Amino acid sequence: MKSRTIMTMVFLAALCMVTNAWAASYDIKEMTPEVKSALDGRRSRFEELKSLKAQGAVGENNKGYVEALSGNAQSVVDAENRDRRFIYTTIVSQNGLPADALGTVEDVFAKVQRDKASSGDKIQDASGSWTTK
Amino acid sequence: MKLNHYIGCVLGIAGLLTAQGCTVKAVGDPNRPITINAHITIDVKGLQKTANSIEDYVSGDTSAPQANPQGGK
Repeated sequence: MKSRTIMTMVFLAALCMVTNAWAASYDIKEMTPEVKSALDGRRSRFEELKSLKAQGAVGENNKGYVEALSGNAQSVVDAENRDRRFIYTTIVSQNGLPADALGTVEDVFAKVQRDKASSGDKIQDASGSWTTK
Repeated sequence: MKLNHYIGCVLGIAGLLTAQGCTVKAVGDPNRPITINAHITIDVKGLQKTANSIEDYVSGDTSAPQANPQGGK
């Protein structure tokens, strides 16, 4: 009978871990018009940025934003970074994270953007060095 | 013996819920407020999942990410 109690406790502990892991996702909880606009804005300029990245005029920095490296890409870079920042701050605020979590959100997005960058794109690694993927 | 088993389970559930819920109730002198420094650990894996979903939508690989009022901590 004692072993049954222990088994029940182990099962409950496992269940607890599963529910914890399940809960640890950070979603956009409310798709406000502003969030939708930021997402759609990013989607609409994706091809333009892709082309600028292929030319080496724009790169993905290690803070989750794009950076103009040469040429005349500053306006599209500014618009893209405005939308990205809005999305990052929305994730922080809608998930009740502390304000200083923005840095972590930016770092995680930066890593995902580096992973998804095409071959030949300029990317900035975690140490700050720019390389060509 | 069976009663012990149930008491063990109830105490176990209560312990786990306490550990998960982490509700702190401070009672004391209002002129001497108690400061509690809470440390929140962000689950980077969960964040990566969200980032991937958003970046996939931006690149046109998937449809719009759905708002999920139930999810998250």
